Amino acid sequence: MIKKLLLLFAALLVVALAWNLRAFAVQTLPIDYDEDDYMRAAQEYAAVIRSGDLRGLSDYNYRPEHPPFPKILYGLAIAGDPEVPLIPDRPTTASPAQFLPRPHLTHARSLGAVLGTLTVALVALLNPLAGLFLGIHTWTIKYTAQVMLEALPALTSLLAVVAYQKSKGAARLRPYWLALSAIFLGLTAASKYMYCLVGIAILVDWYWLSFPKEDRDSVRANKVSEAISSPWKRLLRRYAPRKDMLLWGILSILVFFAANPYLWPDLINRLSESVFYHAGYASGAAEVASANFPLWQPFAWLGMSVPWSQDAFRVFLDPFITLLAAFGLARLWKKERVYVLWLATAILFLLAWPTKWPQYILVLTVPLSLAAAQGVKSLLERIRDSLSELIQHIRASASHPVTKSAHPLPSADSLRRAAPWLIPGLLAFLALTIFPLLFQFGVSMTTLNAQSLRDGLQGGILRELSGGLTGQIPAAGQDASPNQVHYVGLHGYGWVFDYISTIGLPVFTILWTALSILLQVALGLGAALLLWNRRVALRKTWQLLFILPWAIPEAIGALMWLNIFAPLSGWLSLAVKEFGAQAVPFSFLVGWERNPNQTLFILLVASLWYGFPFIMLAASAGLKMLPAEAFDAAAIDGANAWQTFRLVTLPLLMPLLVPAIIIRAIFAFNQFYLFQMFVQFFGGQEYIPVTLSTFSYYLLYRGSEFGVSAILNIINILMLVGLVLLFNRWSKAGEGVTYA
Amino acid sequence: MRKLSFLQQALRQLGLSVIGLFVFLPIWGLLRMAFDGSLKGRATEFHLLPKQFSLDPLLTVLDRPYQSVQFSVILGNSLVVSLGAAMLALVLGVSLAYAFARFRFPGRQGGLFLILLTALLPPIAFTTPLYILFSWMGIRTTLLALVLVYAAFAMPFCIWNMRAAFQSIPKETEEAAYLDGAGDLTTFVFITLPLALPSIAVAALIAFLMAYSEFVIGWLFVSQPDTVTLAMAIYAIVTTGTAQPWSQLGSLAILMSIPVVVIFLLLQRTLLERMTFGSAGD
Repeated sequence: MIKKLLLLFAALLVVALAWNLRAFAVQTLPIDYDEDDYMRAAQEYAAVIRSGDLRGLSDYNYRPEHPPFPKILYGLAIAGDPEVPLIPDRPTTASPAQFLPRPHLTHARSLGAVLGTLTVALVALLNPLAGLFLGIHTWTIKYTAQVMLEALPALTSLLAVVAYQKSKGAARLRPYWLALSAIFLGLTAASKYMYCLVGIAILVDWYWLSFPKEDRDSVRANKVSEAISSPWKRLLRRYAPRKDMLLWGILSILVFFAANPYLWPDLINRLSESVFYHAGYASGAAEVASANFPLWQPFAWLGMSVPWSQDAFRVFLDPFITLLAAFGLARLWKKERVYVLWLATAILFLLAWPTKWPQYILVLTVPLSLAAAQGVKSLLERIRDSLSELIQHIRASASHPVTKSAHPLPSADSLRRAAPWLIPGLLAFLALTIFPLLFQFGVSMTTLNAQSLRDGLQGGILRELSGGLTGQIPAAGQDASPNQVHYVGLHGYGWVFDYISTIGLPVFTILWTALSILLQVALGLGAALLLWNRRVALRKTWQLLFILPWAIPEAIGALMWLNIFAPLSGWLSLAVKEFGAQAVPFSFLVGWERNPNQTLFILLVASLWYGFPFIMLAASAGLKMLPAEAFDAAAIDGANAWQTFRLVTLPLLMPLLVPAIIIRAIFAFNQFYLFQMFVQFFGGQEYIPVTLSTFSYYLLYRGSEFGVSAILNIINILMLVGLVLLFNRWSKAGEGVTYA
Repeated sequence: MRKLSFLQQALRQLGLSVIGLFVFLPIWGLLRMAFDGSLKGRATEFHLLPKQFSLDPLLTVLDRPYQSVQFSVILGNSLVVSLGAAMLALVLGVSLAYAFARFRFPGRQGGLFLILLTALLPPIAFTTPLYILFSWMGIRTTLLALVLVYAAFAMPFCIWNMRAAFQSIPKETEEAAYLDGAGDLTTFVFITLPLALPSIAVAALIAFLMAYSEFVIGWLFVSQPDTVTLAMAIYAIVTTGTAQPWSQLGSLAILMSIPVVVIFLLLQRTLLERMTFGSAGD
C-alpha cells in the first residue's frame, strides 16, 4: 500500500516536471516548419465550430495528406480566440513562418503540451522512471509543445497498447478492454497514419499469445510431419486471423472513419489521395532529397538531444536515454513483450521509410522510455551483483590471509623481488604510454589549437593546467584572446559531445562496428565451413588466397578498393563510362560519394574484404578442435546439414570464436586507414560517415585543433573500455582460466 | 571426414570461386595498375589487363620513389624506424612483461587491464599528445620522433605478448636454477630468456611490421623528403594526386607489401594467436 502511494507520488512529481518543461517550451520555442499549416487548418475548423453548423467539418482538411482529427482539436483550442485573417497558403518547402497570430499559437501549442503531459502521466503510472525519461526527452518535448500532429497520436497509440495489455488479465471485462484498444487505434489512425505501427505490434503479440508454448516448439520439431499434411492448410489454420482480432480490426477502422469527417462525402478518392501522397512525398519531394539523410538517420536523431533553439529545454539527456534503453531491451521483453515489439516495428519502419524527419521518432519514444527504465534497473542489479561479489572476495581473502599460492617461488617478499623488474619497465611504460595519455587528458581541458600552439609550447599548457586545476584560473569564456591557450576544464567535453552527436558520429561508429563485424563473421564462418572438409579440391590454394587480405597492410588494402571505387578514376566508373550502365554490374554505385547509404555500403565491402580472413582463420582453428563424437551423434539422430550446423557446430564453435570476434569489433571500432583513404571523396555529405578516430585525425591534421582532438580521443578511449572489458570477460570464459 | 558427392564438390567450388573473385579482384586491380606504363596520372580508361605492359614504374620507384630521394635512403629510413621502434618496445617492455608473468604484487590485475587496453587503443589516441610533446621538445620532424611514436604504438602489445611467452615456460625450469643458487637476474638471462626467445621474436616482428607499413600517422611527423619511409612515399603520391603516375603508386605498394605478405603467410598460425591476444582456438 505504502509502496503504491509512493509510486503515485513519484508519478505526480514526474507529471509536474513534464508539464513545467512543456509549458516553458510552448513559450520559448520559435515557430517551426509546418506549424503555420496546421494553424491554418485549425483556423478553418475554428470558423466551422464558431458557426455552430458542424456539418462543415467535412468540407475542410488543409494539408489533406494528414487526417483531420488533431487539426480539429487545435481548432477547438483556438475557437474562443478573436478571429484573424487566414494564414497564407505556402508550399511545404517554404521556410517557417515569421509570424503567427497570438494567443492562437499559444493556445494550440498548449493543447499539444497537455496531450504530451497526459502521455507522460500514463507512462509514469506504468513506471515513474520511464515517465521521467519521457518527460525530459527533448525531442518529445519539442514536438508536443508545437502545433504538430505528433502529440495526439502519441497519446492514443499508447492508450491502445495499454488497453490491450489490460485485456490480457481481465476475464469478464476482456471484450471491453479490447474494444477500447480498437477505439484508440482508430483515433490514432485518424491522427497520423504512421502511429498505427502499434497495431502491428499488438497483432504480433496477440498471435504469439494464441499459440501455447509447446505448439511453438513443435513447429520446429515436427517439420517433417507438418510438411506431409498439406502445409498450406496448416499455415492457413495457424495464421488465419481469429474472430476477436477481426472484430478488433473492424472496430478500429470504423472509429477511424467516424473521427475523420473529411472522408464522409467522398470516401474512396479522398482516402486514396491522402494515403498515396506519402509515397510520392518520400520518393519525390525536393526537401527530402536535399536533406539527403542516411538510412540510419533515425538512430542519429535518437543519439542526440534537440540541437536547435536549445534555450527552450533544461536538460539534454536524450542520448543516454537511448543508451539505457539498449541495456533494458532484454528485461522489457521478459516483462512486457508488446512494448519491445512496438519499438522494433517502429525502428524497422523508420529505417526503411525514405523520409527521415526528426519528429517521426516520437512514434517510439514511449517504448524507448519504458526500455530505458528497465535499463536502469538491470544496470543497478549488475552493479549490486559485482559489489556483493567484491565483498565476498574481500571477506574470503580476509579469512585466509595467506594468498592462494599458485606461484611456486616464495611470495612473502614478492614485491621486493618484483621491484627491480617492475621499476625500469614501469618507467618506460609510463613515459611512452601512460604519460602521453594523461598529458592528452590535460590538453583536452584547454583550447590548444593552431593559433595558440606557439603560446602553448612556450609554457602555456602548463601555466593554464596548473592554474586551472588548482582553481587559480577560472574557465575561459568566449572573449578570451585566441593567441593564448586557455583552461576550459571539462566544459569542452559537453560541447564536443553535442557536436559529434549532432553530426551523428557516435551512432555511426557503433552502427559501423556492428554491421562490419556481422558481415565479417558471416563470410569468415562461411569460408571456414566451405573449406572444412579435407576432400575439397584445391583446399590449400583457396585458403592461401583467402588469407591474402589479412596479410596486406590495411592502408594498401584501402588503396586497392579506392582503385575500384574512386569517382572518375576507379575501375567502376571507368567501366560504366566505357560500356554503359546496363552492361556493368553494381553500376548503381557510381556517384556513391554523394549518397551516405552507398558510402556506407562500399566501405563495408572493403572492410569485409580486409576483415573476414581473420575470422576465417580463427573459425578454421576452432573447427579442428570440435569433437567428432558430437557429429556422429547428430548423424545417428538423422539431423540434416542445417540442423547439424545450428544445433551442433555453431554452439560448440561460438565460445572459441567470440574472443576473435570481439578483437575484430575493436578493430572495426578503431577503423581509420580505410576511412582516411576514402574521406577525400566525401563531397557534399552533411552527415559525414566516419569513425571517431578518423574524425580525430582529421581535426589534428587539417584543423590543428589539438584540444578538440584530445577530447575525441578520450571519449573514444572511454567507449573502448567497455569493449575491452567484454573481451576480457569472454576470453577468460573461453579459456576457463584467469590471466594470472 | 565425409565424402563429397560430385554435386557437393561442385557447389563448394562455386562458393569458393565467388569468394575468391571477391578477394582477388582488388589485388588484381593494383597489380594491373602497377605494370601499366601508359598511365600519366590516375587511370582514365578501363582495362582489365595493363594497356601497355612495362616495368618502368617499378624501376622508377626502385630508383627514386619520392621526389628526388634515393630508394636506398628511403628504405634505410624504413628499416631504421621499424627496427628502432621494435627494439625499443622490446627492450623497454621486457622487464615489465617478466614482472607481470612471474611475480605477484598489488595492482597487478589493474596493470594487466591497462596494458590490454592500451594495446587495443587506436593509434590516433597516442598521436595527438605525442605530436604536441614532440613539437615542444623540438624533435617532431626527426626520425627519432618516428621511432618513439611507433614504439609507443607497439609497446603495450609487445609487453602483453612477452608476458604470455614467459608464462608458457614451465616454472620448474626456473625453480631448478633458483635452487642451484642462481639469482633472479641470472635465471632470467640464462634460462628464461633463451627459452622465450622465439615467441619474443614474433612479438618483435609484429612491432616491426606495424611500423614498417604505417604511413598515415607517420606523415604528421615528417617535413623533409629525406626522412620519409617507404610506406609514406605511397601516401605522398595519394595526397599529391596526379603529380606522379599512379602506376608508381601501385609498384610502390606492391614492393612494400611483399615482405609483409610473405611473413604473414609463413607465420599465419603464430600471428593469429598473437593477434587474438592468446585467446584464439589453438
